[in-house]
Amino acid sequence: MQTTAVVEARDVSFSYGTREVLSGLSLSVSEGEIFGVLGANGSGKTTLMRMMVGLLSADGGGLSVHGNTPSARQAAQVGYMPQLSALYQELSARENVDFFARMYGMSDRRARAEAVDEAIAIVDLADRGGDTILNLSGGMRQRVSLAIALVHRPALLLLDEPTVGLDPDLRAAFWERFRQMANAGTTILISSHTMDDAAHCDRLAFLRDGRVIAMDTPSALRAATGRADASLEDAFIHFLRMSD
Amino acid sequence: MSTDRVLAITERIARQILRDRRSIGLLIVGPLIVMSLVGFSLYEQREILDRVAPGLLGVFVLFFTFILTGVGFLRERAQGTLERLQTTLVGSFDIMLGYMLGFLIFAVVQTVVIFTFTIFALDIQYKGSLWEIGVVLFLVVAVAVSLGIFISSFANNEFQVVQFIPIVLAPQIFLSGVIIPVEQMPEVFEWLSVVLPLTYAVDALHEIMLQGTDLTNVWGDLAALVVFSTALLGAAVATLRR
Repeated sequence: MQTTAVVEARDVSFSYGTREVLSGLSLSVSEGEIFGVLGANGSGKTTLMRMMVGLLSADGGGLSVHGNTPSARQAAQVGYMPQLSALYQELSARENVDFFARMYGMSDRRARAEAVDEAIAIVDLADRGGDTILNLSGGMRQRVSLAIALVHRPALLLLDEPTVGLDPDLRAAFWERFRQMANAGTTILISSHTMDDAAHCDRLAFLRDGRVIAMDTPSALRAATGRADASLEDAFIHFLRMSD
Repeated sequence: MSTDRVLAITERIARQILRDRRSIGLLIVGPLIVMSLVGFSLYEQREILDRVAPGLLGVFVLFFTFILTGVGFLRERAQGTLERLQTTLVGSFDIMLGYMLGFLIFAVVQTVVIFTFTIFALDIQYKGSLWEIGVVLFLVVAVAVSLGIFISSFANNEFQVVQFIPIVLAPQIFLSGVIIPVEQMPEVFEWLSVVLPLTYAVDALHEIMLQGTDLTNVWGDLAALVVFSTALLGAAVATLRR
């Protein structure tokens, strides 16, 4: 089946001063798939995410989102959940989501109210929507942050470590929701450093020192170890050793 | 530029400040305490009091708007909300204008409170109209917001923002003609006052509130404030680069 590349990175490089963060990174994310970028802390995941929303520009190579150079002009099609929950503490969950909906260009009050209700319901916070962020737990703040990323119903969701700090129940609920959205056609790119998350993805890219050391489906990556009982963690370690 | 996005930022700023009871108290009670101290200590020296009071209006607006913007924007940077905003459709000028309008609301409230207090408690008689004073104060707000955003990019925490007060605000308070008329200061300070935005605000407020002149007669002061606010706006926007 012919699929369209929503995100395309070719030989991308990026440095913070003299410190090289991404080096010759290439990957391609197809429409409607859940793509996981896996790597240890400092492997370049967040830098890659920030490049995809136009916060950073590549020093070399080419990066495109929906066929264009990433920029905030594409914000109507892209939902971004940063690693920090990035919320206004004095505002309620609903006010935060409503505010960012307006920033995404949703100026029609009625349509926006519906979208905000829907986003709050998706993250299961309908009964706490009126609470200020200061009165919400860490997990609830993560959910508000996710609601902001999806309130304008973007075609592409970029989620930077969305499940960090979540309890297992909530993590499972998040993944159930991600799968429903992907089935409905949303492309989801997730960064993570946990193998629990990796198992839910359609395809994975293992990152090391800003470079993709392996990219395939979870089952293919496990099979590449040559062991029938290999876990994704085994596969990750296998590719790390091979890249030494 | 998007009107809805600007208004959304203005509304958000207003909500955040209104929910911060201490800041509201600071905005209202702080100026009243200072005005009481100045007013009652100079109560028998009407000439000095009449001259100092209009300038203090400009000082309060500059001071509180600078502090609130500086700290508020520092939080935007530290909490990641600024970066998140920059991944949306909002532009730098939308952000700046939204901030200015948000703080203008509080500057107007502050002005009305100080006005009422000085008229009824200190028996100071003003001339000029409120809207003309409002125009001058809006330009002071524009300067203070831009200055606050610009300075916040050099601070890592609230403590560091406060440390900029002696450098950024103190010279303006002492050298802009609020306390001592500019022309009575040593020549070097007179020259220095030329590059301080508050000098022009104080002069315009004096002209409007004490002489009863209208805005057309203080166009030079207004033009200077526009130049300062535009230059500082440019500097502030540069710190918002993606």
